[in-house]
Amino acid sequence: MNPELQRNLWLEASPFRLALILGLLLLVFSATSIAPRGLMTTPGAALTLYWFFAVLWGTRSAALSVVAEIRERTWDGQKLSSIGPWEMVWGKLLGSTAANWFGALLCLAVLLATGGGGLIYGVILLAMGVFAQAVALLSSLVLIRRNTGNWRLDAFLCQVAGIGAAFSYYSLWSSIPAFQRSGTQSIAWWGYDFNLSSFHLVSLLLFLAWALIGCWRAMRAELRFANGPYVWLAYLFYIAVYSAGFEALIGQRLHIPPGFHPTTSKLVYAGITLLASAYSMVFLEPKDPVRLRWLSEQVQAGRLYRAFLALDCWMLSYAATIATGLLLAVIWAANGSDFSLTVLAVLGFLTRDIAIFVLMRGRAGGRGDFAALAILGALYLLCPMILSGSHMQGLTFLFLPTQPATLNLVAAWLEAGAATVLALHSTGLINRSRLQ
Amino acid sequence: MGYTNPMIEIRDLVFEYPGHRALAGINLDIVDRSITALVGPNGAGKTTLLRCLAALETPYAGHVTIDGLDTRQAPRAIHARLGYLPDFFGLYDALTVRRCLHYAARAHGIGTSDAPGAADKAAGRVGLSDRMEQPAGALSRGLRQRLAIAQAIVHHPKVLLLDEPAAGLDPQARRDLSQLLLSLKAGGMTLVVSSHILAELEDYSDRMVIVDHGRIVGGESIALKSGARLRIRLAEPHSGFEALLRAQGAQIVEATSGQALVNASPDPAQRAALLKELVQAGFAVAEFAEDSSALEDVYFARVKADDSGKPGGQP
Repeated sequence: MNPELQRNLWLEASPFRLALILGLLLLVFSATSIAPRGLMTTPGAALTLYWFFAVLWGTRSAALSVVAEIRERTWDGQKLSSIGPWEMVWGKLLGSTAANWFGALLCLAVLLATGGGGLIYGVILLAMGVFAQAVALLSSLVLIRRNTGNWRLDAFLCQVAGIGAAFSYYSLWSSIPAFQRSGTQSIAWWGYDFNLSSFHLVSLLLFLAWALIGCWRAMRAELRFANGPYVWLAYLFYIAVYSAGFEALIGQRLHIPPGFHPTTSKLVYAGITLLASAYSMVFLEPKDPVRLRWLSEQVQAGRLYRAFLALDCWMLSYAATIATGLLLAVIWAANGSDFSLTVLAVLGFLTRDIAIFVLMRGRAGGRGDFAALAILGALYLLCPMILSGSHMQGLTFLFLPTQPATLNLVAAWLEAGAATVLALHSTGLINRSRLQ
Repeated sequence: MGYTNPMIEIRDLVFEYPGHRALAGINLDIVDRSITALVGPNGAGKTTLLRCLAALETPYAGHVTIDGLDTRQAPRAIHARLGYLPDFFGLYDALTVRRCLHYAARAHGIGTSDAPGAADKAAGRVGLSDRMEQPAGALSRGLRQRLAIAQAIVHHPKVLLLDEPAAGLDPQARRDLSQLLLSLKAGGMTLVVSSHILAELEDYSDRMVIVDHGRIVGGESIALKSGARLRIRLAEPHSGFEALLRAQGAQIVEATSGQALVNASPDPAQRAALLKELVQAGFAVAEFAEDSSALEDVYFARVKADDSGKPGGQP
């Protein structure tokens, strides 16, 4: 047996705990079966308790499977073990949530047996539970790289991320009837119609697969394996293609101007997704100044491939966003559209914002990311509000993508240049005197 | 350094934290089947050095090779070859000693059928055989330390790294620890131990490395365990003093023109011969005696000499 799974089973799935869960569930379902109509039904109770065991409590167990190792100072021992990254991931994911799954599967069985849903519904619930826990585990593996030192907050944030992922997906699922074509029970993706339930299930399973791949990749990094950029690039390609496929569906709902060619619309959706990934990853990843200096030295020494292999996810997301944006700008410029200037300005503001994250990380360490968020909040919300209140709306082009396009473009890249110089200075890439 | 069989080779090792260079070009060889003590003030870089040796941290520059493997290129293969006890270690308190050791054995690649035997053997080596069914959380500080060491050695690593293993232990537990470390060395392990407790290093260490400001003070390790040490003091300083000692084959721990500390031969005849050579060479020997309390003197003398050699250091 996987030693990590076995250790977790020893700790988490004691006979006493399992008997307690079984006893409580028997009591609950006995009560609901004899309760008067109008109160909680047995399928309703089973669904609620499934959410509790698999998502609410399960995400906490999954997050603690890593965070508690840091808290208890046993993580170094695990990193030095011979357990492989995939073995470690599924050992933790299944082992730490063993008691949760014992309760959740009992609830799911009751739900399906009492007519609370069909087989596909059951599979979706099952996949959603694993997805939530995998996101919580992945979040914990990302957070420990930030070395916050606050395990309670870390565990809570990971739990929130897992619950958020499950609820987002559940909400999306619930809202899909509003988007579907009338009466067809199908969904359009890349111009093809797909059965709604099947599309939903396959999408969930694919995102679950990516979450597990993310866990595996993050665990590899913890266990000192070199990851390389290819898996993240593949993920970026996947989410870009996935989101671009909804161009017609979302375009109709959001009343996108008909002047947008379908191809450029797809690129816009892909670009927006990549932009979101760039902002997410630059916030989540450490942006270690020492690592940035090391990368710079590799580039200066001509070891470009070695530097490429060591690029962080936020760098790859940024590069992919810039490439997609430039492609859009070229297409629109060829068609004589002003959108080309706007998209270049967006890239400028993105560059400024990335530099602000790097700058603040270099100055304030782990807290710098929150300081950077505050600065961005001021730049995108407070400053435009103040300008509006002062009847100087015309100057908002200084802070966010807007008209006039040419001035907006110039302002964005001037700010990007200034922020980049400051960021390079703070990381020691320009001035090494900060290093003692 | 002249070793023919170094188990650990460190070359130009540099490690940086943001805004701070923790290791500033360490060069060191550690010979197979030896115990090397890392000493130095808090923040000197000892723990960072041990973590680099354990391939838990990636150096900014330079190389660490363990058993011929580079920590940057083959960290997992190195992990399989070493055991590491951090300064603040943790245990799975809810598990029994047996299960802790069984898990450690399985996690280090020992098969299901062999794991119970490996756990029993490791427990036996640290004297925990009679505590196998106790939860780790119920053990005393000294016993927890033993369990942590047992977990680190359950897979018979070639190299064992211990960060402040004696911290918080009572005198008896420290003595037990010294004996355990010596027995592990006798069993074929190479040990690197960081410690603040200089007085006890001589009980088990072969060499001492003083780390300060991310560098090795004096640039090399100091031989410790070759029997007793002789303190030789001259009535008047003589520039050829150290050269003569070297010519006589004395293992010098430290030397100035006026005094020296050397590892003494256990053979009285050889000691007499050394004294005779000194006197015949015209050195005015004022003191020639065993010195059992000189390690701290060596440490402070080296650190002071190193500080005075640095820009802005104490003269």
